Amino acid sequence: MKALAKHLTRLNYGLLIIASLYLAACDSPVSDAVRFGLASAPISLDPRFATDAASSRINRLLYQRLVDFDEQFRPIPALAEWRQLTPFSFRFQLRDSVQRLFENGKKLSAVDVKATYDFILDKKNASPHRGSVANIDHIQVVDENTIDFRLKKPDPLFPAHLVIGIVPAMGIDKEQGLNNRSMGSGAFRFVAWPSNDHLIIERRRDKLRIEFIHVQDATVRVLKLLRGEIDILQNDLPRELVHYLERQNAIQVKHRAGSNFSYLGFNMKDPALTDIRVRQAIAHAIDRHSLIRYLLGGKTQVANALLSPEHWAGITHTSGYVFNPSLARRLLFEAGYSDKKPLVLEYKTTNDPFRIRIATIIQQQLGEVGIKVKLLSFDWATFYGDIKAGRFQLYTLSWVGIKSPDIFRYVFHSESLPPQGANRGQYANEEVDQLIDKAESAIDPQRRAAYYRQLQQLLLQDLPFVPLWYEEHFYAANREISGYQMALDGNYDGLKAIMKTSHQQPANQIE
Amino acid sequence: MRRYGLSFWVIVLWLLLSLLGQWLPLDAHQIELESILQGPGSSHWLGYDDLGRPVFDRLLAGSYTSCVVALTVVSLSLVIGTILGTMSAYLGGVFDLVITRIIDIFLAFPGILLAIALAGIMGPGIDNVVIALSVVGWVGFARLARAQTLSVKHRDHVIAAQVMGSRNSKIIFRHLIPLITTPLLVEATFGIASVVIAEAGLSFLGLGVQAPDASWGSMIRDGTRYMLVAPHLVLVPGLALMIVVLAVNLAGDRLRDWLDVKTNRVEERI
Amino acid sequence: MLKIIVSRLLSTVIVVFGVACLVFLLIHLVPGDPVDMMLGENAQMADRESLREALGLNQSIGAQLLTYFNNLLHGDLGTSLHSRVPVVEMLAERIPATIELALVSLLISCLIAFPLGIVAALNKGKGWDRTAMGVSLLGVSIPNFLLGPVLILVFSIYLGWLPVSGRNGIDSMILPAITLGTALAAVLSRMIRSTLLEVLSEDYIRTARAKGSSHVQVVIHHALPNAMLPIITLLGLQLGVLLGGAVITETVFSWPGIGKLTIDAIMKRDYPVLQACVLLISITYVVVNMITDIVYAWIDPRIRIGGQS
Repeated sequence: MKALAKHLTRLNYGLLIIASLYLAACDSPVSDAVRFGLASAPISLDPRFATDAASSRINRLLYQRLVDFDEQFRPIPALAEWRQLTPFSFRFQLRDSVQRLFENGKKLSAVDVKATYDFILDKKNASPHRGSVANIDHIQVVDENTIDFRLKKPDPLFPAHLVIGIVPAMGIDKEQGLNNRSMGSGAFRFVAWPSNDHLIIERRRDKLRIEFIHVQDATVRVLKLLRGEIDILQNDLPRELVHYLERQNAIQVKHRAGSNFSYLGFNMKDPALTDIRVRQAIAHAIDRHSLIRYLLGGKTQVANALLSPEHWAGITHTSGYVFNPSLARRLLFEAGYSDKKPLVLEYKTTNDPFRIRIATIIQQQLGEVGIKVKLLSFDWATFYGDIKAGRFQLYTLSWVGIKSPDIFRYVFHSESLPPQGANRGQYANEEVDQLIDKAESAIDPQRRAAYYRQLQQLLLQDLPFVPLWYEEHFYAANREISGYQMALDGNYDGLKAIMKTSHQQPANQIE
Repeated sequence: MRRYGLSFWVIVLWLLLSLLGQWLPLDAHQIELESILQGPGSSHWLGYDDLGRPVFDRLLAGSYTSCVVALTVVSLSLVIGTILGTMSAYLGGVFDLVITRIIDIFLAFPGILLAIALAGIMGPGIDNVVIALSVVGWVGFARLARAQTLSVKHRDHVIAAQVMGSRNSKIIFRHLIPLITTPLLVEATFGIASVVIAEAGLSFLGLGVQAPDASWGSMIRDGTRYMLVAPHLVLVPGLALMIVVLAVNLAGDRLRDWLDVKTNRVEERI
Repeated sequence: MLKIIVSRLLSTVIVVFGVACLVFLLIHLVPGDPVDMMLGENAQMADRESLREALGLNQSIGAQLLTYFNNLLHGDLGTSLHSRVPVVEMLAERIPATIELALVSLLISCLIAFPLGIVAALNKGKGWDRTAMGVSLLGVSIPNFLLGPVLILVFSIYLGWLPVSGRNGIDSMILPAITLGTALAAVLSRMIRSTLLEVLSEDYIRTARAKGSSHVQVVIHHALPNAMLPIITLLGLQLGVLLGGAVITETVFSWPGIGKLTIDAIMKRDYPVLQACVLLISITYVVVNMITDIVYAWIDPRIRIGGQS
């Protein structure tokens, strides 16, 4: 027994020593980097391949692009200015006023632009962005700073497509590629990506480091913020947790309106849904204001059209569908449905708990007017496959980061059936097709905007989808953070200006 | 052991509430946005969840789910496993070899992993959960049935039946299986407890019951998202789960002790 | 002895082969297209066919099966559909985390189970026995997806003593290890108790007592060492419980191990990763069982000398 006790004591001391060594080696929570909590981890730092939101937003910081957008979503010069030479060609001139050194020290030039877009256009590379630039016939380097793009079909809005980050023509490691480290010329440079959940980049001008820390669980992210393990998080929290953070003195929370559009999509070939009265009934049965008030909160706004009101082609004053259950019931009755013969619909959604929450509420709201809704949730791939194949009746999704109005052709033109386009509901309306054609061939920008506005009004009347809302953006940060602004589409460009009190600007160093 | 212990009554309560839940007008799906995340109180006994649905009603709905799944899966596994295991031990030869290998291969997947993989692949839904758990569950019964049958197949009355020329199926069903029901029943009882946990686990991972239906597992998972502000969402279904499983395990223990005693007594007499 | 080793090895190889086939077949029953997974919600057009071709999804099932085994034998487990990283790399990255968790859980469960089991055996039939076994029954009845969140609620959220999730530093390992370890501890304590009781009824125990050793001395110096053999065997078999339970525990605590990778792969329909994870876990389990069997056979002189399994 005594021997046992002696053994145990020795063991205890040993454990204590090991424990203290471990703790000493732990990261202390004090850091002068800005630690940004992410709900989903970035997948690829190669702008020619990345499509998910996290990767795309981070790539915007690491790479520069030819064209960017202003607050009305009009294309503005980023790396380059442009002129239209002929209806079939554009000339892009790289701006000298823009600093454009790649991380390896080489200067970004026309050759790199051509290399980037040629890579994407090459079918062999299987870039998912190929479709957005498929109209390019060929690219010609005119001189060091000038590139000519020749198109297959005339498109006055062509510059809006050139938003992909430019990668260098040479010097990309053959095996590694750019998936795991960037080689860009943006405001930030790559530092390290030690694990899937931890990415470090550095702001070039003042060496401020940003660490992207992937914390999927919302509660954990909030706790990490409260404990100082991360400094800032943006979006992806249920409203209740946002309120919880707002009540904490040590945390600042800011909201702003967004432009990402959420909608309820219809399968226009479904026998029940071809009747406009049914679609109108559904539109009147959904209480968007309640949903926003209780679930989305803050600056989320009711939407009536795909393009947000700030957009140069957006509609500003329009009365949408008012919440009116009795009208909904009447419309359904007129369409031939009653308690004895109720309308039964299938509603598909992804596994995302937030979407399921919204969907369940909509299910109940539709139930109140007599529509029996069966809710099915799937993983993304299955869901998306069903949507593209037309195997659905109702579904909800959002359009994120829509800048240019060719989304309308892509989604609503009768010829844009998947997989070429995204007209998943197989909507076919001649007037809509004509308006799209007219808008695209209009030369005068005012005329073009007018056509698009007319188009959106028509879509609101015809209801191939029920517009829901533009979700707000919010960020929550500790008091060391300042100078962060959110963008309309929820990107992280605000990190270009963010400041943290504990970060000291490096004194002028001789390097 | 003739006293019916606490565990027995808990199980009865569980079964009753589950069935009752289907008959009573429950509000498990009734959304009240204003009541979102309200805690337990006077207005509604166990509070509301993240959609303003009453937790008590969802608890009963979940109870029904776990009950039905557990009984279905265990019945299926028991029947399939017993038949295959007994046949395998009795018939021997190649059949036995194949079955044993198959059992070994299935047993090579630790516990719930195969069920998770299966359910994950087949897709979500309570039907797939039942299938996945049955596919994984029959193996344990088969192995037990086989072992038990091996030890009894040389008993006199079995040999007598063989000599008399009875068909194999008759021998298996009339003579062998009745001898081995006892340990199988004990295993089945513990099986119920583990299936309740397994179903809750699969629903917790999102592979089981789908919204808006309720399962204790999915309630716990949805609840963990709001632990900071509404811990009752995790604690209430969690407690219910724990109590039911504990009761079933206790009952299984008692059953085993009681049946052991019975066997011992019988042997003494001989 | 050699005969035993060879026969176990052979049957293990068959089982491993069967497991690999089963895993392959499993994955190919999937509905849903992995190509869609890579394109995200808002991707515009995609060159699907070339993508599918590059991933080899166009071949027949038979051809895919052959390629699968060929690759396996060369140590190529494919590339993740989601992140385009070689699966072997992903596994290598995550294995240490799971091993770490498994070992610490094993340690914690032994620390809990041995005292419980010994106390129960020493006090058979009396109050302490019932209490100890009651505690163990409780442990079996609380699933890890419940215990985990409750521990987080108490120790991370309310008390703030320990981190909620993730893997950095020793304190982030405590809650997951306790969660994973308790289920095992519960089962283990019962086994320790019953094994000890069996051993305690042997003749040489009576001899030791007759010689005047105290009860406790008898248990620790005589019974326990002899009971270790079956206990160690059971520990080896229980590794499967750990590996299976790790899947849920790692998910609850966002512990970056193989278990969490498996669940993530299921959610994202990342075939190659899922296949590799399930294969790895099962084969580990099978191999450990085989080793345990062989070790048991070797240590137990009756089996070794007797030569019959």
